[in-house]
Amino acid sequence: MNRLYKYLNNGEVALGIIFLIIFIFFSFASEYFFSLRNIMNVSGQLSIILIASVGFAVLLIAGEVDISIGSLLAFVAIPLVQIMNHTESVMLGIIVCILFGAIIGLINGFLSIYLGISSLIVTLGMLFILRGAVYLYTGQRPISDELYSDFFFNIGNGKLFGTIPYAALVGIVILLIFIFIMKNTSYGRKLYAIGGNAEVARLAGYNIKLLKLSAFVICSVLSSVSAILLASRIGSANHVAGDLFEFQVVAAVVLGGVSLAGGIGTLTGAALGVLILAVISNGLGMLNVESQWQMVLNGIIIILAVGFDELKRRKN
Amino acid sequence: MLKYFKSNESILFFLLIILCIFLSFYNPQFYSIQNINSILRSSSTVMIVAFGMTILLTSGEVDLSVGALMSFVTVIVMDVINISGSLFLGFLAVFIFCLMIGLINGLVRTMLNVNSLIATLAMMLILQGSVYIYSMAAIYNTHLLPFFTFIGQGFVFKIPMPVIIMLFILPFFIFLLNYTKYGRYFTAIGSNPSSSSLSGINNNKFKILGFVITSLLVGVAGIILASLMDTGQQGSAKGFELIVIAAVLLGGTSFKGGSGTVIGTILGILILKVIDNGIILMRIPQEFQLVVPGVILILAVYFDTLRKEKNV
Repeated sequence: MNRLYKYLNNGEVALGIIFLIIFIFFSFASEYFFSLRNIMNVSGQLSIILIASVGFAVLLIAGEVDISIGSLLAFVAIPLVQIMNHTESVMLGIIVCILFGAIIGLINGFLSIYLGISSLIVTLGMLFILRGAVYLYTGQRPISDELYSDFFFNIGNGKLFGTIPYAALVGIVILLIFIFIMKNTSYGRKLYAIGGNAEVARLAGYNIKLLKLSAFVICSVLSSVSAILLASRIGSANHVAGDLFEFQVVAAVVLGGVSLAGGIGTLTGAALGVLILAVISNGLGMLNVESQWQMVLNGIIIILAVGFDELKRRKN
Repeated sequence: MLKYFKSNESILFFLLIILCIFLSFYNPQFYSIQNINSILRSSSTVMIVAFGMTILLTSGEVDLSVGALMSFVTVIVMDVINISGSLFLGFLAVFIFCLMIGLINGLVRTMLNVNSLIATLAMMLILQGSVYIYSMAAIYNTHLLPFFTFIGQGFVFKIPMPVIIMLFILPFFIFLLNYTKYGRYFTAIGSNPSSSSLSGINNNKFKILGFVITSLLVGVAGIILASLMDTGQQGSAKGFELIVIAAVLLGGTSFKGGSGTVIGTILGILILKVIDNGIILMRIPQEFQLVVPGVILILAVYFDTLRKEKNV
């Protein structure tokens, strides 16, 4: 009995149960919700947020934050689409896109760690800089993909065997890889250590600066992967893409039990946070609830979930 | 003397002066009354909200819902005055609404112990959604009360009305933060919550107060904005929270709590707005209005950290 209680008290299990309840509720409430087609559609859509959330969670666990990912989503799509349009090579576009993401991650990390500016401020500044750069370059007009390559179209829209979206597969693979890294490699455990108590980690001989820098790069690179999926879905580099994206990601990750203070939380939890928010928004859509109500409900759910988590922690 | 020059405010002040001198050489129009008035008018709504945000950040909290609340206020004030024909009722509705939102933010932060970044982010979502539930369409001014237009667009002795409203509110906050024990309490709570609580300060009470003050100030700024636009628009102040926070941080308030001054905040806002204005006067593409504040924010905080490291 005691063991069962302890098991139920585990954050991920609780989130999983919440997810199941919501899932079952919508399956009964809407006749369209529980169909292979709808579930596959949702999994394709949510993978864009999922991938960025994995990177964001890794960075939060390491004790830093990056709120420039929404602007980054719009920014790195430009080299992707422009290079594809001009060189007719999708691979080259993707490589340069991810390279741009890595460089922005390095800049964010360098400014935060080596110059000692709070990462919240660095990335708040970066949020403005990248969005401004996007507006400047595009003249506030979307840049369309003019290559019309099947490969690029399929990244975001195609389905394996006509059922499983490639986007969802990419998301799951990335999620599993990073769950493994965070749980089972010394690198992952070191990230937890520096996020939990940087001073102790330093005394234990970890290279904190380099570890944190790598977390910044992971976050930006994974956001760039999200950017590629999004660009493929909408068929362009859009100047308003990723608007408020950072807030969605923060909400999902924190709902999943990753602490803003660093060192606490798991990627499984973060993924469940993403799942819950995505299923709620899809389910409410199926029930013809207007998107305005969905935002309101999302807000309330986040407050309640984080609030209960805090109350539980205080009890313990 | 040297210490005085090294203070954050004086550095910001010199930066502002240098900017102004540079711009006036570049384009003499900078010093025209019209231009200065337009800078001051667009600064004043940011300043009014930033006073509250300074208090909040000083006490270690933050409010991300101010932009969404401000948009909501423009809709409410326009709608209620349209229906009732009474300015008083319109303002009353706004302040009751803002009081309620501030209380909820504060209670969620203190009673449920939800990190304020998350609590107010959620509130932002709630407000952004519910403003459309309140009304799908923008609300136009059908009451045509002259005084309402005067609030945002009018002048007294050639000074724009929003600036005058801001100047009425300003002394109160300078006095509160610098010359009363309550102002000191906010700083104490932000720099070391457990020691302030041990010395008998009710941390939660002051934090709630901080959220309520900020929301009420958003009410004032929202009324001004509605008057300026002559409409109530659901997305009119989108992104406003980031501008306010950037300006307050630029003014030397720390995100970790415990330090911050109203004067610094004012200088921070003026610097950002003068740069905005300069970008227009120098005919640089307007998109730079996003890029430059981003760079300035990072640089300013960098120099601030450098200075603090030296002092230690």
